[in-house]
Amino acid sequence: MKGVAFDGFKRLRFESMSFVYETGGPLVFEDFTADLPLGKNVFVTGSAGSGQSTLLKILAVLVQPQSGRYYINEFNTTEMSLEEFLPIRLKIGYSFDLGGLMVNRTLRENLMLPLLYHKICGDEEAAERARKLAEEFGFKGQLDMRPAMVSGGLRKLITVLRAFILRPEMAILDDPFTGIGIDAARKVVRLIHERRETGELKHVFLTSRDGSWIRELDCVTLAVGRHSIELQEERAAS
Amino acid sequence: MIYLSFRAAFYDQAQGLRTVCGVVSAQIYFTGWQAMPLITVLALATGGIIILQSSLQLSLLGGASMIGNLLVVVVVREVGPLITALLVIARSGTAVASEIGNMRVNREIEALEAMGINPLSYIVFPRILGGVISLLCLAFFFNVIALTGGFMVARVTTDLPFAFYMDSLLQAIAIEDVALFFLKNGFSGLIIFVVACYQGLLVKQSPHEVPQVTTKAVVNAIIYVTTFNLTVTALWYLNQLMRLGLWR
Repeated sequence: MKGVAFDGFKRLRFESMSFVYETGGPLVFEDFTADLPLGKNVFVTGSAGSGQSTLLKILAVLVQPQSGRYYINEFNTTEMSLEEFLPIRLKIGYSFDLGGLMVNRTLRENLMLPLLYHKICGDEEAAERARKLAEEFGFKGQLDMRPAMVSGGLRKLITVLRAFILRPEMAILDDPFTGIGIDAARKVVRLIHERRETGELKHVFLTSRDGSWIRELDCVTLAVGRHSIELQEERAAS
Repeated sequence: MIYLSFRAAFYDQAQGLRTVCGVVSAQIYFTGWQAMPLITVLALATGGIIILQSSLQLSLLGGASMIGNLLVVVVVREVGPLITALLVIARSGTAVASEIGNMRVNREIEALEAMGINPLSYIVFPRILGGVISLLCLAFFFNVIALTGGFMVARVTTDLPFAFYMDSLLQAIAIEDVALFFLKNGFSGLIIFVVACYQGLLVKQSPHEVPQVTTKAVVNAIIYVTTFNLTVTALWYLNQLMRLGLWR
């Protein structure tokens, strides 16, 4: 089974989507229909437990809704196999709010893993990309340590940076700034701006507990409800 | 799960041989190589006990020349596969179930999916393959140590000549024993690692689920492996009886 032919994100649409976690609890989304905005930095917000992180996971097709459809362009992702979805997957960079690093690999190996696995580049170039990021973000001395040996903030930062290592067209970042420190957060904002300017990164969806970084990113706000979303076109900075 | 993991591994164009070999060799190191001291002790004890008891009983009955046949039946066909499987369940089945369970809790599995890496081909397939290879090697090692080393242990109390013992043993081993060896040990390995991986992947979010699935993996693997061994033995001997015309 081969991957679909994919030439960039043109449309993200939910149709009558319902979602509840396998572990139980109330419906997070019910008969949810919406078109999501593209080409912007989108700050996904809502009341506590309203499903911002869940929406990001569904957007990244890491979890599947129990009913309804989620379209990326003309592709109904709810019916696609992992192999079919792979070309789209490689255009999405996703970072978790907690965890997500391979604990039996060093930070360097964690950063290099997607590059080497998908044979995006050779060992040397992958190592060079990891080294550059480490130099820029100031953790060069800890590159060969395993996640358990470094601070929680650095672990979080590596997860965020790994989302950018494949040079994705869409970045989905779940609370990327909490815990990584002001300096690193500023550099992540700069990285997003740089990638946007080069045209590599076109769409960003993120949640954040810290509004100041949202203003720095000049985000539009997307308020998540159980049945739909509300796009507040005015910038979050205003 | 066997089908899905093998299918994923063969369909996954990106996953090179280097990736698979890396994880398979690590699995063989942990499951096979690191279990050798323990399997040596168990094999020596089991072999010594069986040889001591059987040589004594057979001498009393005047059938000392049958020791080879008895040992092949008891050690190679029955005790070897079962003890090796139980040891691998205790050491590696628990390790794999808890490792994968913790990977779920730590969101490593989700992270792999987010990076476009199929957990079934990257995590499950190499563990099953490495586990089956390890179990076959360990079972072979167990048989060799139990049959030769066990004789050395028994030599302290019996005066059975080594040449006579080895001759009896070599004459008793048939092609059917080789087939049974691969059937029992290969499938036991498959059962153990599929059950362990499956239980590990059942963890949803919470660390408290990890010990629960680990226990379940051990219990289920023991039940399935012993049932499988019993079934194969029963079918084998029914077939033998039919061939001899003693059972219709």
